[in-house]
Amino acid sequence: MNNKPILTYAGAEQLFRSLESHIVSAIPLDTYEWRRPYGRPIKNVRLDAKFQQFSTEPLEKYRKGEWSIQEHPVLHIFITECNDIETYKTVIRDEIDTWLKTLQLYNIDDWMILLVETIDVRKTKNLIPRTTVLDKIRLDFASKSGDRCISVLNPAKFEQRSTESFRCLVQRIKHLMLVSYNKNIIKYEELIRAQREKRNHDGWSFLKYFLLQEELALILENLGLYTEALVQYDELDAMFSQFVTNSVFGEKHKWLETFRQQTASFPGISLKKKNKFKARDDIISGTITLIDFRNYLFERQCILLEQCDRTAEIGERLLPFLFSTLRELEVMKIEAPVGALSCWEFVCALEVLDICDRAMETKEVSCFQHCAPIWNLAKDKLYELGKLCGLLPGFTPTSEQLHTVVQLSAGIGDEPETEEMFVETQPQIEKKSHSPNRKPKKSSTQKLKDALGANEAFQKLYLELCELAISTYKHVSRLRSARLVGLDLGNFYCALNEPNKAVVFFTDLLRELKSENWNHLASQTLLELASCYRKMDDLLAYTKTCSTISCCLEMEILVRTFYFDEFLKSLKALKDHLTIDAGSNLNLALLEDHFKILGVKLLNEKLIIQDDFVVVQLKLDSYFPREVYAEKILLSFDMNSNVNEFTVNASLNESPILPISLHLDYKQDNTLACASVACETVKSKQPVRRTSSTRRKLSPTVRTDFTNSVCIECGVAIHPGVNVFELRCKAVRVGIWRFKQLSIHIDRIEFLSDRIPLKMDPFEITTKPASAVLSFKNLIAGIEQPVQLIVSGGSFIFPPDAKIVLKCSKHLKVRLRDASDDSLESQINIPLVAFKSFEERTIELDVLSELPGRSADKKIEHKVTLLCPWSRNEIEIPLHFLPALTTSCRLHTCGTQKFLHVCLKGLDGHLSLIEPKMTCEAVGVSLIDLNSKSPQQIEIYKNLTVSYLWELQVEPLKTETELPVIKVNFSAKYTNFDKPGVFRSFACSFDVTDYTTLFRIQAHIEPSELCRVGSVCSLHLKISKVHDNPFSDLMYEVLADQNMWAVCGRSAGVISMLDVECHSISLDVLPLSAGFLPLPNVRLSKYISSKSKTESRPKPLPFPPGQIYNSTKSIQIHVLAGANAEQ
Amino acid sequence: MAVCIAIIGKDNSPQYIATSDLDKELELQYRVHAALDVVEEKCEPGTKTTPESRELYLGLLYSTETHKIYGYVTNTKIKFIIVMDSSNTALRENEVRSMFRNLHILYTDAVCNPFYIPGEPLNSKKFDKSVRGIMTGNI
Repeated sequence: MNNKPILTYAGAEQLFRSLESHIVSAIPLDTYEWRRPYGRPIKNVRLDAKFQQFSTEPLEKYRKGEWSIQEHPVLHIFITECNDIETYKTVIRDEIDTWLKTLQLYNIDDWMILLVETIDVRKTKNLIPRTTVLDKIRLDFASKSGDRCISVLNPAKFEQRSTESFRCLVQRIKHLMLVSYNKNIIKYEELIRAQREKRNHDGWSFLKYFLLQEELALILENLGLYTEALVQYDELDAMFSQFVTNSVFGEKHKWLETFRQQTASFPGISLKKKNKFKARDDIISGTITLIDFRNYLFERQCILLEQCDRTAEIGERLLPFLFSTLRELEVMKIEAPVGALSCWEFVCALEVLDICDRAMETKEVSCFQHCAPIWNLAKDKLYELGKLCGLLPGFTPTSEQLHTVVQLSAGIGDEPETEEMFVETQPQIEKKSHSPNRKPKKSSTQKLKDALGANEAFQKLYLELCELAISTYKHVSRLRSARLVGLDLGNFYCALNEPNKAVVFFTDLLRELKSENWNHLASQTLLELASCYRKMDDLLAYTKTCSTISCCLEMEILVRTFYFDEFLKSLKALKDHLTIDAGSNLNLALLEDHFKILGVKLLNEKLIIQDDFVVVQLKLDSYFPREVYAEKILLSFDMNSNVNEFTVNASLNESPILPISLHLDYKQDNTLACASVACETVKSKQPVRRTSSTRRKLSPTVRTDFTNSVCIECGVAIHPGVNVFELRCKAVRVGIWRFKQLSIHIDRIEFLSDRIPLKMDPFEITTKPASAVLSFKNLIAGIEQPVQLIVSGGSFIFPPDAKIVLKCSKHLKVRLRDASDDSLESQINIPLVAFKSFEERTIELDVLSELPGRSADKKIEHKVTLLCPWSRNEIEIPLHFLPALTTSCRLHTCGTQKFLHVCLKGLDGHLSLIEPKMTCEAVGVSLIDLNSKSPQQIEIYKNLTVSYLWELQVEPLKTETELPVIKVNFSAKYTNFDKPGVFRSFACSFDVTDYTTLFRIQAHIEPSELCRVGSVCSLHLKISKVHDNPFSDLMYEVLADQNMWAVCGRSAGVISMLDVECHSISLDVLPLSAGFLPLPNVRLSKYISSKSKTESRPKPLPFPPGQIYNSTKSIQIHVLAGANAEQ
Repeated sequence: MAVCIAIIGKDNSPQYIATSDLDKELELQYRVHAALDVVEEKCEPGTKTTPESRELYLGLLYSTETHKIYGYVTNTKIKFIIVMDSSNTALRENEVRSMFRNLHILYTDAVCNPFYIPGEPLNSKKFDKSVRGIMTGNI
């Protein structure tokens, strides 16, 4: 279709014709910048042109408003070669004037005046004329638009010099053309809009309107504005769709009747055909069919999309185009022969795929996304046609079906003549093609016809399309869709009786469906698989599939029981003629499909000791519709090698609740600023995930090591529903174990689980260590005490001559109670005669700790060390004894006589004491026993004190300076009161010091008989020296009970005994209460003047008790009630 | 109006599927399953989604000769799929949008049931009744 812009010429027509070819060929040579109004983007366009003689005929239409933008001349040119001003004034000016007036009459101002100069060179050399004709023309006609007048050197005459001016001319023509287009397009758009407004008027026809708007599109396309051209087509498309849709709701348009015509021809789109505008002619003639119209519209859109470099969009638009066209055909009640529309869809699909294919091979990758569904559609349509024409595997076309094929082939139409351009480029594309299998391309129409012609061709094409659909879907990672195509392909292979090929697709689909728990669909796929395996005679796979189907809870129970029977039957068959390698995994089936592990519980209550039985309760839900008999049930466990994992899990197990804490932030004024809840996860970087977020894994189950497993070996029936089994095994190896995998053997089939789905604490198998402990109650020193040695053998294996060596610390002795020998030893051997593992034996012992020779009542610490046969290390056991008796000794004074008082205090145990003895080895010291001799034995028990008394006499010559310390030894014998036996002696030594009386204090009250409350008495103190001593300064203090006595004046004083034997002091005291009052106590202290400089004051030091004798101690005074009280 | 309404869990396992035509149930389920491909494609974080990624309505996922499949994804990655009969040319996109909104409300109500375990199939009869109401257009 020749739609080059039209330019007209007038004036010197002969001259113009001589230039026309130059101009026409020069215009499209290069692009020109097109500045467009309304801020539309600047575009470089390549123009084309053709010239016509000026005539008013097209202008007439323009004035009426029925013009066509294509036929409307873009530019009118007046041409003259007049050089002479006079000639111009007389002739040319009038001609131009008339021409311009005509143009103005039609309201056109796209004109140009061209003055061709055929200059006489000699003339111009001599004088330059004052005014030229060009100036004149400009002055007369184009005072405002001087650029519309241009002069050019005649290129025919001045070949060299004219180049520049000729180029100027071409540029000017282009410029003016584009200026004209700017105006015309706007004007034409107005016209279109006006026409559109009339669309509901009677007599308006969409066809006419279509042609009107399409012209704009064509112009825009010509000018290289493909996107804008496409917009025009898209508008038309939408408008048409709307008309058709509205026609359903009763809108009646006469023009729609054109499209209602029935047709038997349903050719597909073809972008390669030579005569692209054939349909346009039909539109003009009003004989176009709906399918042709839609095809034409889509083809135009495709071409423009391709030009815009938006090839991917073609793919995107195809399916909506096909589906909406089908809807429209339905709405318009256009009957198509059966299969014709499928043919049409198929051809369209292949055509578009062809375009996309070409585009993709260069750059467009995004195309794939849209191509995949198109491949799928093509495949589906081909299948429909195959079914219709008896081309499916296993069918042969009947004569009726053959007739259909002929009809359909006719309906598709013949392959349209292709453009040569495509034919040329095709081999080149073929070279680039990645798939070496592709033969030189046949057209889509031809492909379809071939496929419909023969079963083999059909099958080949169908398989090819399926593979392409699958691979394209996979390429754009639409795996589910790919698998769905796989389902169709699998079914086709089944029909081809090639179930082994189908199985691949079915298993893929099954895996995909199962991984996302689409159980209903998965069970359907299982049925397909089962039939495949049966056809293949794959007994093992068939058995497994049957069992899985029988466990599909979604299926009807009839189906399930049928397959259950099949399962049992084929199990039996398997037994007869199949041996399965132990190493192969073929007989493994997924346990999760058949059973659900509800619980695994360790029944051992205590620690599991090596060689104990591990007992595990397994709760299992069986999906089988009936009872099955399992030979073995095994639950493997595995050494928990990863210690870290264990600890993490342990901490998780402790708190199944997330550690969520409340955070409150306060402002300074104690108002709440922010309240939030935070979760402190164990691993801060790891986000919290719900366990259900994990996708079911797709990798096949691997059989782990079942050497360590609890099991039922004897065979067991598994009922439908919940079953509880007890599995057991001997704990062989020590360690921390974790349950791993469950395996159920039913005949030859092994149902193997994934990891145990429940959270299970690991369990531990330990060895029990042998141990020896001493058992005793409070131990008392001095008496034989029973102690038990408890030996528990644990898992240690004892040699026949095993023994325990028991060693005691110092002062501790031990013996075996039932030993013949009665003596206590500090080390004994305890024989372990015929000691078995796990035996526990108690050995009775007696221990005796010596009483310490000191008067301490704190515990006596001993220890016992055991050397046991199971260990090289000694076991140390500390023992604490309480002494049975404590002894203390006090020195008493009576004047100068001295007495030793021994106190025995019973702490524990009931004892009898005999033979108390006090000895002193110092010369000149004698001890006089003052104890009564009558009771031989004295009983002593807890908290009872027994006292003995001796007088200590020191020869007067032996002064204290000679014997500052007298060592006395106390000894006694004791025996157990309840079981008198051996008397054990115990001894205790004491040191007696400061035993000489140095001072004597005497005190008396005067008057001694008439002491009254409230009346002052005088207290006379007499301090006399008994023995010579170096202490001269003494301090006395009267310490009176403040409730009884009040000391008037000083209660203390310092006296000097230097050179004085005796000192008397008198103090005033006041009795405060009546009755027998003890005399105020007097304390005498050494008054040591300080020797150091730091302490300036002298300080009193107390005397030891043996050096002072208070002769009036404890004397009481009878105080009468005071006289005042009587008054 | 709608021939199938499906609710798919976040791990892509079906939680609820209602079909108007029992004969086509299998085919429709396959359609819904395949639609997940497109849902995943549209929800991919890398893709140039609209700046308003909070839009839950995914629009038309794909269409076949007989059906149009629309999708909707909640913030917790629960997918709603509605399969419409494409012979209804008067169907407006906004109607589908409001169907999804109503479905979302129903779903929220259903999972608020404290006895419902998230991730399990939805068996509530009341929910089923209401969803079938949406399907037939009597909301």
